[in-house]
Amino acid sequence: MKSLRGIGKGLGVGLATAVGATFLALAACTGGGAPEGSAEKAAGPVPVTLWYHTGRPAERDTITRQVAAFNARQHDFRAALTLIPEGAYGAQVQAAALAGDLPDLLELDGPMLASYAWAGRLRPLDGLLPDAATADLIPSLEVQGTWQGRRYGAGTFDSGLGLFADRAALAAAGIDLPADPAHAWDAARFRQVLGALAAHDPDGQVLDLKLNQRGEWLTYAFYPLLVSAGGDLIDRRTLKAAGTLDGPASVRALTELQGWIAGGRVDPDLDDAAFTSGRVALAWAGHWEYPRCKAALGERLAVLPLPDLGTGSRTAQGSWQWAVTKDARAPEGAARFLAFLLEPDQVLAMAQANGAPPGTRAATARSPLYGPGGPLRLFAEQLGTVSVPRPATPAYPAITAAFQRAVSDIAAGADVREALSRAAADIDRDVAASRYPVPGAPR
Amino acid sequence: MSAGPRSEARAGLWMTLPAAVGLAAFVGVPFALAFALALTDLRLGSPLAPRFVGAANFLGVLADPVFLRALLNNALFAAVVVPVQTGLALALALALDRPLAGMPLFRALFFLPVIFPFVVVAVVWELILAPGPGGPLNALLTLATLGGWQAADFLRDTRLALPSLMLLSVWQGVGFQMVILLAGLQGIPRSLYEAARVDGAGPLARFRHVTLPGLRNTLIFVVTVTAILAFRLFDQVRILTQGGPRDATTTVMYEAVSAAFDRNRVAEGSAMTVVFFVIVLALTAAGRRAVRHAGGR
Repeated sequence: MKSLRGIGKGLGVGLATAVGATFLALAACTGGGAPEGSAEKAAGPVPVTLWYHTGRPAERDTITRQVAAFNARQHDFRAALTLIPEGAYGAQVQAAALAGDLPDLLELDGPMLASYAWAGRLRPLDGLLPDAATADLIPSLEVQGTWQGRRYGAGTFDSGLGLFADRAALAAAGIDLPADPAHAWDAARFRQVLGALAAHDPDGQVLDLKLNQRGEWLTYAFYPLLVSAGGDLIDRRTLKAAGTLDGPASVRALTELQGWIAGGRVDPDLDDAAFTSGRVALAWAGHWEYPRCKAALGERLAVLPLPDLGTGSRTAQGSWQWAVTKDARAPEGAARFLAFLLEPDQVLAMAQANGAPPGTRAATARSPLYGPGGPLRLFAEQLGTVSVPRPATPAYPAITAAFQRAVSDIAAGADVREALSRAAADIDRDVAASRYPVPGAPR
Repeated sequence: MSAGPRSEARAGLWMTLPAAVGLAAFVGVPFALAFALALTDLRLGSPLAPRFVGAANFLGVLADPVFLRALLNNALFAAVVVPVQTGLALALALALDRPLAGMPLFRALFFLPVIFPFVVVAVVWELILAPGPGGPLNALLTLATLGGWQAADFLRDTRLALPSLMLLSVWQGVGFQMVILLAGLQGIPRSLYEAARVDGAGPLARFRHVTLPGLRNTLIFVVTVTAILAFRLFDQVRILTQGGPRDATTTVMYEAVSAAFDRNRVAEGSAMTVVFFVIVLALTAAGRRAVRHAGGR
């Protein structure tokens, strides 16, 4: 009897895993939705619900302060913030969307915008958000917030990606720093640099690609290489991946990447400290690594453009952004709050809290990090010039899943062409099966 | 009028009703739904109405090399884990089936990993399996081979990743089987052992002719459950390897979940689970039949 109960428990755990998603969806159906309804009563401000990912503590404090400031400044609307853990954010939104229970104002990850917009969950911002509020947005955010010619999202910050370098180690190996993106190292020079650094390194591992991180990082970090070589994730006009993702240029880009790894130049970085502890002299890194690296290296830290594989150095862009949902009960309130967040002071406050490139030109000019002469000025200059957006199509979840898998396989030694062909076929199958709209004309 | 065999049968039917409703609600309906969904092109979050696509999802899944690799990995995993885990559990149960002081403590210790949430187990094992000479398992193997072991990156090596998952799965799961086998052992009458001893049977003969037959049904149960759990392999893969490197550790459950929830292809994920259900059902039925032929119940 005792043993039987044990068995029941074991199976119960299994069942729970299997149907967990169902319960999640059910829970989303029954919970929530209660506080609305009283909005119609004339007295008191109209509630506006908003969801934000739980970022760093400083980011959380800032958004909380911004909500309080907004509520104190005007009395038509009352913003109410819900923080949602980053790891479960997508699933939570998915479940809430199915239950028709999305907030008025939703934060979402930039490349997912097309997917949400296609699913009919978002409301175009044209006419809702005053043009003045978005007039000063940096060009990369302009692109990120738009799908099929309509603005659905507005971000208050973007992101930056480059090579962080240890000046001292480079100097010891006799390597000069490239001055600006136009003079980024080319493929051959980059290989030389790795070789020269390796000669001065006990284990020969001199580059950190943050391969300890999985998921979206792999796409974010390495699709700029494809574009730099002349390839891409998909043909941005036909949405077809075959012939582009597994075309010669893309194959060349990832063969280059595989060469660095297979040549023993890349630190697996399992402790997430390869660069900060001085084991490697170069790190493929996003802006969010800057505070940690600056603290560790001080004046020795240099921020460089990614290598140029043929058509010039390219970098990534895109970050969290705000969108008003289709089911919003207070879309005007949501837009009003968003306009508030886009004011220069608020943009700057958030950028200072999370260290990201500010979303407007005015805030960028005032930013100590990204303003003229700032240590991360390069990132601000790259955005909208040599940064490439991830494809704005509802197929993006499938594209990034397939590409991530291909990059992991290639890093593990798989045949590059084969891995990319498989990813391309997978993406094309998805696009064909899902009846996504294909943009008629190239932008 | 009263208490005839017919009304007894009717009462029996009534009594099975709660269990039957539970089975239908939690097994029957989801399976029927999965099968129905697999015939459509339903996508999570798609604004378009799903269309009937017939067997396209099944054909696509069966032609997908990754899915076939996942099936192979599941088969390999079960082929190694089921005998090893059952054997180890039996050995542990025999070793712990002694009226010694402190035995409950040992039983509890061996059972402990079963209670740990898998996330904790994964974090611990990720550290144990850390690459480079500094990783505990690498260091141990180097010591054991007197320096002959080349430090490996267990979870990112195409040949070592699946065996690593097998190792930690056995470690985590063995306590559960051990407890069931212990209960089975304690159900064998002591008088049988005494009789065997009087007849001059040694420890090995007693094990073969008293313990094993006495444990027969318990063992069948343990093997079946271990096999089903092995086929359901998911948590380890999701947390530690995400199916990599190069699909070396992907499993059917992992593929199904990532198709449905990472790539929003609910129909494809459903097709995978249906195919998988049929395979596991066939294997279980075949196993049952083999046992019955060999004279079991």
